[in-house]
Amino acid sequence: MATSRNASLRRWLLSLPPLEYALQQIRELLIGSLKCGPIPKHIAFVMDGNRRYAREHKLETVEGHHLGFEALARILEVCYKSGVEVVTIYAFSIENFKRSKYEVDGLMDMAKTKLVQMSQHGELFDRYGASVRILGDLSLVREDVIAEVNRAVEMTAHNQQAVLNVCFPYTSREEITRSIRETVKEYSVPADRAQAVGWRAFSESHIQRSLRSSRRLSNISEESRRSHPDLQPLTGEKEKAQAHPNPADLPSEDYSSADSTTEISSQEDLDANTTTTTTTTTAPSSSSQTSYSSPSPDFKPTTTPSKSTSKSTSKSTSTTQKPSHLPDPESLTTAHLTRNTYTSPAPPLDLLVRTSGVYRLSDFMLWQCHETTELRFLDCLWPNFDLWRFLPVLVEWQWRRRREGVGGLGEGKGGKVV
Amino acid sequence: MVGIRQSTAFHTDRDASGRELSAAEREKLLKPYLPSASNKQPTAGQDARRRFQRRPRVRPAIRRFLHWTLFTIIHTLFSIYIRLRKVYHAIIDRIMAVLYYHHRTPELIKRDVKSLSKVPSHLSVILDLPPEGGKKDALETLVNDACEVAAWSACAGVPMLSIYERTGILKATIPHLHRSIERTLTAYYGVNNPTKPTVSLRAPHIPSYSPPHSPPPTTTTTNNLNDPPTRPHLTILLISASDGRQTLVDLTRTLASMAQANKLIPADISADLIDAEITESVMGEPDLLLVFGDRVVLNGYPPWQVRLTEIYGVQDHVGGVEYAVFLRGLYRFARAEMRFGR
Repeated sequence: MATSRNASLRRWLLSLPPLEYALQQIRELLIGSLKCGPIPKHIAFVMDGNRRYAREHKLETVEGHHLGFEALARILEVCYKSGVEVVTIYAFSIENFKRSKYEVDGLMDMAKTKLVQMSQHGELFDRYGASVRILGDLSLVREDVIAEVNRAVEMTAHNQQAVLNVCFPYTSREEITRSIRETVKEYSVPADRAQAVGWRAFSESHIQRSLRSSRRLSNISEESRRSHPDLQPLTGEKEKAQAHPNPADLPSEDYSSADSTTEISSQEDLDANTTTTTTTTTAPSSSSQTSYSSPSPDFKPTTTPSKSTSKSTSKSTSTTQKPSHLPDPESLTTAHLTRNTYTSPAPPLDLLVRTSGVYRLSDFMLWQCHETTELRFLDCLWPNFDLWRFLPVLVEWQWRRRREGVGGLGEGKGGKVV
Repeated sequence: MVGIRQSTAFHTDRDASGRELSAAEREKLLKPYLPSASNKQPTAGQDARRRFQRRPRVRPAIRRFLHWTLFTIIHTLFSIYIRLRKVYHAIIDRIMAVLYYHHRTPELIKRDVKSLSKVPSHLSVILDLPPEGGKKDALETLVNDACEVAAWSACAGVPMLSIYERTGILKATIPHLHRSIERTLTAYYGVNNPTKPTVSLRAPHIPSYSPPHSPPPTTTTTNNLNDPPTRPHLTILLISASDGRQTLVDLTRTLASMAQANKLIPADISADLIDAEITESVMGEPDLLLVFGDRVVLNGYPPWQVRLTEIYGVQDHVGGVEYAVFLRGLYRFARAEMRFGR
């Protein structure tokens, strides 16, 4: 009885306009003063505890998720006002599909209504300069939700200042697997090298030709050059070029290779049914390059070919191209895998917050958070999470950063996309 | 953060009189809380227009000063708070360390873990190479820590222990480490205690090391006919940063060259395949990961494996590898309450 009266008194007090105004000013002031120090560039949240909150307060589970969404809105406001660039949230795990169908449907409906609301209020996102990105395997989601997702993503795509990454049906293992798969795909297509060679101002065949002519000229000084150790590999290669079984097509090798690349790209167009312009017969190498640059990594996710098509393309590349045109797998580094993760253009993760006293990552941001990310496990439930609970975490992070003296360096390091 | 009236309106999607809100009304509710339309171009234009008015220049300066003052105050207060907290935690740690000490007696450790409902079947610890001291001293400290952790795990009945150390310096001293562990276990159990656990030490891509003079676990059954099954075995795995991301990169390289040779289609790559390969070449998922530092940072720990691992670190802990932390980790894992005293 006493507690409920206290609660209503508190509510009444807090809703008094002057007090409300003062509180608002204090919040703004706090956030503004936080900006004086280093601010994490990328924060991830695991929004855990919605269901437990609902159970403890005798609410419907879905109602708990609704309250969780409101807590998220509060936190996002704090983050973006204080200058965090990227916020990644764990909204829905692939594992969550194992929950009761009722709850999954409820979550999906909620996602849809929130997305609809989001698209109604695109202006708000513009005000924060925030764009929405959905990370995860969208093929598992209902189609009507996907439509809303795409609408929300497209509508905010032009904002550059901040990013909200929503991990929708996401697990980190799926992300790593996908990243490996994409990297392997990149490496089984000769795109990189063909592009790199094509853009250089010098053509290999021309150099070979001039080498041959120079050799013809200085045929007499053959012996002296052979004794020279530096030129040894050059002469060897030149001899190989001369011993080419079909010397007639050597002078026009750049053209023939251009033809073969256009062939491949056109075949890919047919297979993947994309709308890239088919510039097949206009032979000049520049056009072949433009058509070639389209199946570069950026376009990969949209044109993920099915098994048969990828097989056919890889076969065609292997038959038309020499295997030496494929990039060397040894040149693969962690940067390639990082680039192919869902979060790819985001700065490295600085802080990961998990609520509700669970001390594990639960398949979230494994690739991103295992280096220098500070993990914070809090005991409060997510719907209770607000500025006053978030502030100590943020201040402690700042405090450590300042003590480590990385404050100044952090900016230079944070800008680098790892 | 919006006021209470607005948040209830949002929550129910109705205004005070119970009418449903339209999109425009919702936006109106939020208007006062949004940051001022701070696009660079319009403000620049305004600045140019009223360059000679004083207000817009003075007010931001005051605000900046206010922010800066508040920032300094917050951080001063916070550093006082955090120091107090550290002292508090240090006291707690001391008390725990006094209350729970192993005295190098396996029986005491066994009694400590007896009440636990479960013990991790794969325990993992992150050890740090101490930065101070010479390289030799640092390595010696590290080896000591590893020995202690191994002995506690053996006593607690943990069958598998993986020790992560970023630089991988431990991997280079496997025979030495094995000798030290044997010595520590002897100090714990006595010279010829029949229940003294056997230890095998290995690292990814390095074959298991059990020296000839220590009887391998299979032969002990024939030697000691009295109590063959009571002699437990502890497998220790040494991992380093190169078993983390780098292993995944190596796997990708292999897969890429297979794909280039048309032995594999990219669509064949699945999480199960990767999991099988990684488990085979490095290790499976640990159940509990203990961090002995003052905050939880994984520091390059293998990412694929920490998926569902319980991560335990004591806040503000500065004492390094301590038995009390080890025990608290085990208690947390078993979701057991820790009471003071035994």
